Amino acid sequence: MGKEECKTLLDALNKVTACYRHLVVTVGGTSDSQNLREELKKTRKKAQELAVANRNKLTTLLRDKTISKEDRAEYERLWVIFSTCMEFLEVDMKKALEIGQEFPLNVPKRYLIHSGMSGGTSAVAARAMSAQNMKYEADSNIDVADLKELENEINQVGEMMVEMEMKVNVANWTVEAKQDPGAELKSTISVGASSVGMISVNEETKSACDPTKVLAGVIFCAFLFIAVILAVLVIKLS
Amino acid sequence: MTIKHCDYSQHYRPRMAFTKKIEALVLEMQDPDTGIKTQTQRLVITTIPHAMTGHDILEWIINRLQILDEEAQNIGNLVVQYGYIYPLQEPKNLILRPDGSLYRFQTPYFWPTQQWPAEETDYAIYLAKKNIRKKGVLEDYEKENYNILNIRLNHKWDFVIMQAKEQYRAGKERKKADRVVFEFQERAYWLVHRPPPGAPNVIDYGLDRFSDPNENQVTQKKTFDVYRREIIFNQHSLMKSRVKSSVSLGGIVKYCEQYFNHDPIMTGCLPSNPWLTDDTQFWDLNAPLSEVPTKLRVERWTFSFRELLSDPRGRQDFQLFLRKEFSGENLAFWEACEDLKYGDQSKVKEKAEEVYKTFLAPGARRWINIDGKTMDITVKGLKHPHRYVLDAAQSHIYMLMKKDSYGRYMKSPIFKETLNKAILPEPTKISESKFPFNKRHRRSSPSPVILRQLEQEARAKAAATGPVDITQLCKFTSPIPHLTVYTGFCEPTSPTGTALCDFPPPSPGLMTLPNSTACPSPICVAIESTPASERKFEPSSISTQFLTIAESTEMSVSSDSSTAVVEETKQPSHKSRVALSFSRFLKRGCSNSPIFATLSPKCPAVNSGRVQPMNGEPQHQPQHHHHHHHHHQGQQKTKKTNNFFQIKVDIPSECRIYPIDSEDEEEEDCPNSVKNNTVKEVICPWETITEDGKAG
Repeated sequence: MGKEECKTLLDALNKVTACYRHLVVTVGGTSDSQNLREELKKTRKKAQELAVANRNKLTTLLRDKTISKEDRAEYERLWVIFSTCMEFLEVDMKKALEIGQEFPLNVPKRYLIHSGMSGGTSAVAARAMSAQNMKYEADSNIDVADLKELENEINQVGEMMVEMEMKVNVANWTVEAKQDPGAELKSTISVGASSVGMISVNEETKSACDPTKVLAGVIFCAFLFIAVILAVLVIKLS
Repeated sequence: MTIKHCDYSQHYRPRMAFTKKIEALVLEMQDPDTGIKTQTQRLVITTIPHAMTGHDILEWIINRLQILDEEAQNIGNLVVQYGYIYPLQEPKNLILRPDGSLYRFQTPYFWPTQQWPAEETDYAIYLAKKNIRKKGVLEDYEKENYNILNIRLNHKWDFVIMQAKEQYRAGKERKKADRVVFEFQERAYWLVHRPPPGAPNVIDYGLDRFSDPNENQVTQKKTFDVYRREIIFNQHSLMKSRVKSSVSLGGIVKYCEQYFNHDPIMTGCLPSNPWLTDDTQFWDLNAPLSEVPTKLRVERWTFSFRELLSDPRGRQDFQLFLRKEFSGENLAFWEACEDLKYGDQSKVKEKAEEVYKTFLAPGARRWINIDGKTMDITVKGLKHPHRYVLDAAQSHIYMLMKKDSYGRYMKSPIFKETLNKAILPEPTKISESKFPFNKRHRRSSPSPVILRQLEQEARAKAAATGPVDITQLCKFTSPIPHLTVYTGFCEPTSPTGTALCDFPPPSPGLMTLPNSTACPSPICVAIESTPASERKFEPSSISTQFLTIAESTEMSVSSDSSTAVVEETKQPSHKSRVALSFSRFLKRGCSNSPIFATLSPKCPAVNSGRVQPMNGEPQHQPQHHHHHHHHHQGQQKTKKTNNFFQIKVDIPSECRIYPIDSEDEEEEDCPNSVKNNTVKEVICPWETITEDGKAG
């Protein structure tokens, strides 16, 4: 159904926005690096794709005059969530631009803020991209090169939002929240029904996520298997 | 789409311009060689790098900026308050401790900026995340905020929850130490931008501007005409005469030197500063129309013609002189022009007519001597009169007076006589020993609630008692020569006793008013204008009649001294009574205490018999009744008890002119009703006396 698709798309956008937020927070701090900038770029692109997809879907649904009242109310709610998400994204992008400009990475005398962060953010980015691992392929001055593109994208997002406003007329204040205050407490224990299966898999294996451990297990199994085969051969031979 | 945050061109006048400076400083602190040395913070399981001690930070600031300890402490505090550095051990205490407590730098994302103030949605998400993390245990103010935001942002609440959950989950992807640091960072950010109750909100910089101050308000279409006008404007600006700064600064210096001795703050004032010694002689002596001006004041008249004209007393003197020289019409014309400029504009036409008939028409009664051209312009302008039609003529006459009459006035016997008579007041003696006893009794007036109650009681009583017995009243009302200032519930004896002692010699009543000269003082104007309005009043609201600004309520001095004093002071302050009492009235009025009742020329209008000045109250009288004071005093004592508090009234309608307090309204009501009740105090004979006195 249209609703389910919308929800899925929206959840995805939401996730990417959250991850983007986490990434932007680390810009300028000691865990900043070229990789981070690349992650930012990729996450941003993903967010934009999702945004466009969301917009198209929701616009067509909302323009459809034949849907029922409850459906319409639901779509409006989703629309409000979508537009808030976009605003959020836009602000984060603007902040990323400003901080990125202030903290270029390759300039010798510019130091990063000792913010206490030391770890990498690749896992966050991977979550955003719904990929297992992040691949870094950009060149070493992406921090500066990316800024231009970032500016353009910010403008694009701005235009898109204006366009959205024009096309669809949704009154924000008429939307009622489905969640009660404190709803976040209930469903966090269960790692939510995340639409992207990868994430849950990632989470569950997080604690034992050490690749070395997995490798060791695999090798052990292989050894076991070889041992069994050898034993069989020996028995067969003897 | 929600209404975006509109920055109203704040970037043209950034309120938080200091952020750039602090940022530069913070950036310098990061230098591994010359910056601040960092250490690791050891928490239970994790170790987090980049912690600094407060002491190190302070030392670094002192060295880098070459300032003293105190200043460095101040700057350090500012840096912490705005969230660039946050404390690790006492997160809510945003100061820089110069000891070993640990601090860390805030990540640039969380630095305060003006363009992106902390949004409510963000805060809601933060609270929701904290809720998840702490499983519902939030601080009280946070819980409150959470609820408020839930109501306010209800339409976005789903997003808030979704985003909070996602951010929480995404945060788990980071390694443990980073997660802890991130929590610290967020908490520090929100402690700065949403301070807990009791903590100062440093981010608040006041109101935002609504427009760009540098922008043209109206974007006009650039037509030929617009450019033409712009060119003319610029040409005129070029032709504007400019004063060299050396000249203008020299002027300021000269002015300061000249007026140095006349400034009561720079050089003390004689007799003494009334605010310090409670001796109001200074104001009495310098009243606008005092009979004998002080020496300093007369000296001021010699500074410039403008000074002379702006001082009412000086103008008076000058008028006298001009009369002798038969050129009084100049000053009269000048005053008429001033009146036209600053007076009631609804009467412009009439005033202009008057002026023409009196001064400008050929063969007019007081024809002024201006040249033909100016006369032409003026007469032409008078066809369509407005505020400034007489400007040209006025400046001509002003220059005439200044160049011609002023010089002669300075050499005239009138001026010399004034100068000789001018007094140099003696500084007041403050006898330290008696000081606590010399202090004015300041009585606060009873609260309006109580007054209303009393009013109602009085009304009830009046309803019970019959009509007023005039004969009875007169007995008490007549010879109260002085006004007593009543301030409230004081014990019966006090008003007569102490209060009376406290006041300086009474000033006579309005009698002097009619004597004042052509120069209309505001008081005169006020009084003249009020009668009409007063007469409109119902007889019952007459109480106000008693009071008039000009009244010298002071009276009441202590028995013997009062009479003597009255005699003495009669001389000097004769004419100034009006102003004097006015100033006193103002003073009192402002302090909410006094209620002057004075004899006013209006009193006659009051002859409605219902006026009752509560005992002793506004029975003011002209100076020749002061000998009755004692008599009155005796009676006052007995009456005080029941009537005293009722007296408040008397802020006459005239007093409305002065910005006293709103108590006036209430007091107006009071007397009205009260008047009905206090059977004893009818003023009738007093009023007749007043009339006589007035005439005298």
